[in-house]
Amino acid sequence: MRRISLLTAIFTLVLFAGVEAQELTAVDILKKADAVVNAPKDQKMLSKMILIDKDGWEKVRETEMYQKGDDKRLVRFLSPADQKGIAFLGLPNDVQYLYLPAFKKVRRIASHVKNTKFAGTDFTYDDLSAFKFAEEYDPKLLGTTGECYLLELTPKPDVKKDYGKLKMWVRKDNFYPVKIEYYNKGGRLWKIMERRKLKKQGNYWYTEEMEMKDVKQKHSTKMLVDKMEFDTGLTDKLFTQRYLKRRK
Amino acid sequence: MQKKTILSLIVMVIFASNLFSQVEIGGYVETDNRCRLQGDKHYTWNENRLGLKFEGNSSDKLHFYSELRLRGFGFPKSAASWDLQRREKDEVYPWALEFREAYVDIYGFLMENLDVRIGRQRITWGTADRLNPTDNLNPDDLEDLFNFGERLGSSSLKATYYLGNAMLTGVFVPVFTPAILPPPDWAAAFSAPMSLPPGMIIRDISDSLILPEEKLSESSMTGFKVATTLLNYDVSLSYFNGRDDLPLFNSVTITPVDTLGTVDVSSTLTFPRMQIVGADMAGAIGKVGIWAEGALTIPERVAMSTTLPTPMGMTTQTSTALDDEPYFKYVVGGDYTFKNGLYVNAQYLHGFIHERGRDELKDYIVFRFEKKFLNDGLKIVPFGGAISIEDWDDVKNSYGFVGAPEIDYCPSDNIELTLGAFLIEGKGESLFSRVKENDEVYVKVKVSF
Repeated sequence: MRRISLLTAIFTLVLFAGVEAQELTAVDILKKADAVVNAPKDQKMLSKMILIDKDGWEKVRETEMYQKGDDKRLVRFLSPADQKGIAFLGLPNDVQYLYLPAFKKVRRIASHVKNTKFAGTDFTYDDLSAFKFAEEYDPKLLGTTGECYLLELTPKPDVKKDYGKLKMWVRKDNFYPVKIEYYNKGGRLWKIMERRKLKKQGNYWYTEEMEMKDVKQKHSTKMLVDKMEFDTGLTDKLFTQRYLKRRK
Repeated sequence: MQKKTILSLIVMVIFASNLFSQVEIGGYVETDNRCRLQGDKHYTWNENRLGLKFEGNSSDKLHFYSELRLRGFGFPKSAASWDLQRREKDEVYPWALEFREAYVDIYGFLMENLDVRIGRQRITWGTADRLNPTDNLNPDDLEDLFNFGERLGSSSLKATYYLGNAMLTGVFVPVFTPAILPPPDWAAAFSAPMSLPPGMIIRDISDSLILPEEKLSESSMTGFKVATTLLNYDVSLSYFNGRDDLPLFNSVTITPVDTLGTVDVSSTLTFPRMQIVGADMAGAIGKVGIWAEGALTIPERVAMSTTLPTPMGMTTQTSTALDDEPYFKYVVGGDYTFKNGLYVNAQYLHGFIHERGRDELKDYIVFRFEKKFLNDGLKIVPFGGAISIEDWDDVKNSYGFVGAPEIDYCPSDNIELTLGAFLIEGKGESLFSRVKENDEVYVKVKVSF
């Protein structure tokens, strides 16, 4: 009798899990992935960006990043000396600003710049902005690969992107997007982003290592998190031109 | 008494070390070398510079910044053997210490949304790229003619109030500082050759500057600016009440020396008062970044007196050096990055820095094509420069052109090597045609720390 109950319970669990998996659409998965990445009310991160060229030569940049919600982000270079103080502000509605300390000026970033590389890294200005994939891309579920859902994302008709499509691997257990392949409009693989060393701090998931690889240029940027803080009560004022110019 | 002194010293040392621990010191070492391409291939510029920056936050609400430049110019000025014996060595290797900026920021001063900056500072106004007709609070630094937009710091008080996405700024500059002018071989760009009555030969030329009196009513300048975002465009309106930092001749005296027509010429120069109402915007049309900036200048009339010999003796004629009629300088520009990474920046400018009066404003097209390679490690500007047009009805005979190709290479972080040239051509009396014999090649090396 006990054996039958146990089997029934296992069967029920498998059945329900299966039903849930079947019910999840590509849009649901993408929304969940967005929700997991942007779950904290706010984030403060200190990290190292290691730029690695095709011969293995490395350049190191130290950055600080502040994010509030899923649409406000400020990134500032702390080193090296010739880049120190360069700061980027990404705001809702695709508004982006750049502060260049050498000119003591805040400049609005026009959209032609948004898909260019930010200060020699493999991240574009657009990559650095906080945003929700589900708002900018239409997803299609291609299938599953081991422990991940595999989505194909194409830009929504009214969204202008240099990427033709993306392939995104989203973990089934916590919906964290661990890998993204970026394809150009000709369908050729352009960049690969991988998130490694997934960690849970409090209620939130994050990765301690992220790498963006430019396949064509054989160049990559590795971001290693030194310190991560969540829900510290960052105010909206931090995400303004006033604070962009300020030294930490 | 001795105890008190020692105690004071200890307190000072603790205070100083505490402050020092909060100071970040950075800077750069740069060498800039230039050589003429024409004539005797003169070596025209040999500057070695140490730039030092001191910065820190004593608290969340207090920030300080200072920048010094120690510069050496490698051209000996020794005129006699005694100069070679000077222990200062400054005649053999001239050098200068330049105090660029030193200011304190107080954030949230008296009220949460008010930031105040006090001290010698650079106040950058305008959305255009380095050619900013609304940027008038700091004196121009025209020492290097091609380093457009370089300005000296001004001792001033700046208060900025933030209200939503709007920003209100007020600036008070108590002391007027004139501009730094280009060295003699480049100064010709800014002034037409002096024309004298036929038969006169100049023996000596001298001038004197009439600086404003050192009282607030004469030497102070003020500025106000309101900036906000409208329909996804950054816009601002500004007002400036001060003086032109470039001197203007207001009297010339021609004194005969002999009966053969030899004369001495002496002149005085003044700094006209002016009000400037400015506006600027920046945004995008489609994927193209655009900006526009305009400044309506309302000058004070400046009279000109010319005293010269006539058959009836010395006679003084009066005319107008600068009319009080308003004139409008403006810049419109845009930039775009092509899919292959080629960046293009172009601006149309009406009225260069030194041009005053409606009829004196000329037209310029400034442009730059650049492409980056090796993940921003190598930047090539194959085609950059400026075109000046004096007279649109006779462009063929009144144009000036300067080409400024450049290669910028960063072999590793904090090192920048630059090789470039200024190639100048022109006809007539344009800004560039007056210095068309000054083609130069330059090499710069900069190491930041």
